[in-house]
Amino acid sequence: MNRLLRWFHQLGSPPYFDRFAARWAPWCHGIGLLVMAWGIWQGLFVAPADYQQGDSFRILYIHVPAAWMSLAVFALMALYAAIALVWRIKLCEILAMACAPIGAAFTVVTLATGSIWGKPMWGTWWDWDPRLTSELILLFLYLGVIGLYHAIDDRRAAARAAGLLAIVGVALLPVIRYSVDWWNSLHQGQTISLMGQSKMDASMLPPLWAMVVGTHVWFAGSLLARARADNLWREAGKDWVRKLGEAAR
Amino acid sequence: MSYREYVIAAYLVFAAMLAWDYVVPRVRIRQLIRAARLLAARRAAVQPDPAGELPR
Repeated sequence: MNRLLRWFHQLGSPPYFDRFAARWAPWCHGIGLLVMAWGIWQGLFVAPADYQQGDSFRILYIHVPAAWMSLAVFALMALYAAIALVWRIKLCEILAMACAPIGAAFTVVTLATGSIWGKPMWGTWWDWDPRLTSELILLFLYLGVIGLYHAIDDRRAAARAAGLLAIVGVALLPVIRYSVDWWNSLHQGQTISLMGQSKMDASMLPPLWAMVVGTHVWFAGSLLARARADNLWREAGKDWVRKLGEAAR
Repeated sequence: MSYREYVIAAYLVFAAMLAWDYVVPRVRIRQLIRAARLLAARRAAVQPDPAGELPR
C-alpha cells in the first residue's frame, strides 16, 4: 500500500491520531506565532501609513486574515462534515466539530476589529451593511453548530446534526464574498487579490501575506489540539486513554 | 501614530483570541488525562485480590 494512503488510514485510529496531534499541535502553534509576530512587527512599525486612513489601516493586518479564516474554516468544516456524513469517518466528525469554535473566534475578531476600524473611518461602530450583516449571520451559524453539537448526548448523532447545519450554511459563504458587489455597501470592495493585481501598494503587502500564512498555520495547531481534546473525550474509558493517564502520573 | 488607541484595541482583541484559543483545548486535555488517571487508579483499587478471597 502507498505510504501516504497507509498513513491516512492510520490517522483514523484514535490512539494514533492522539499521538500525531500531541506531537504536531505545539509545532504549528509555535511556527504560526513566529510568522504572525513577524507580520505584526512589519505591519505596525515597517509598513508605511496610508495617505488617507493614517495608521488606522494597520488594523487591516489582523482584520483581513481573520475574515478570510472565518470563511475558509467554515468551508473546511462543511467539507469534513460532508465526508463524515457520507463515509461515516469518526475522525472527520471530530475535525468538523473542532473547526467550529476556532472559526467562531476568527469571526468575532473580524467583527470586533472591523467595528474598531469603522468608528474612526466611518464614524460608527456598526452599520447594517450587507457585508457586516452576513458576517454576523456567519457567527450565528458557528454558534448554532457549537450549540447543536453540545445539545445532543449521543456524540455521533450530535456531530451528524451539527454537520448538516454546517453543510447547509455553506450557502452563506458566496453571499459574504460577493455582498460588496451585489449590493450597495459601505464596506469597501475587493482590495487584495490572490491571483491578480492588488489595489494595495506592494510595500504594504508582505506583512499581510505573513499574517495570512501565520493564521493558517496557527489554525492547524488549534484544530489538532481541539480535535485531540474531543477524541480523548469520546474515547474516555478505553484502554489506550487509561494508559495515557497512567503514563502522565 | 495616529488612531493609536483604535489600533491597540484591535490588536488586543486579536491577542486575547489567540490566548483563549491556545489555552482552552490544553486545559481540556489536561482535565481529560487527569480523569483517565483517576479512573485507572479507582479501577486498580477495586480489583479483587485473588489471595484475599473470602472463606466459604
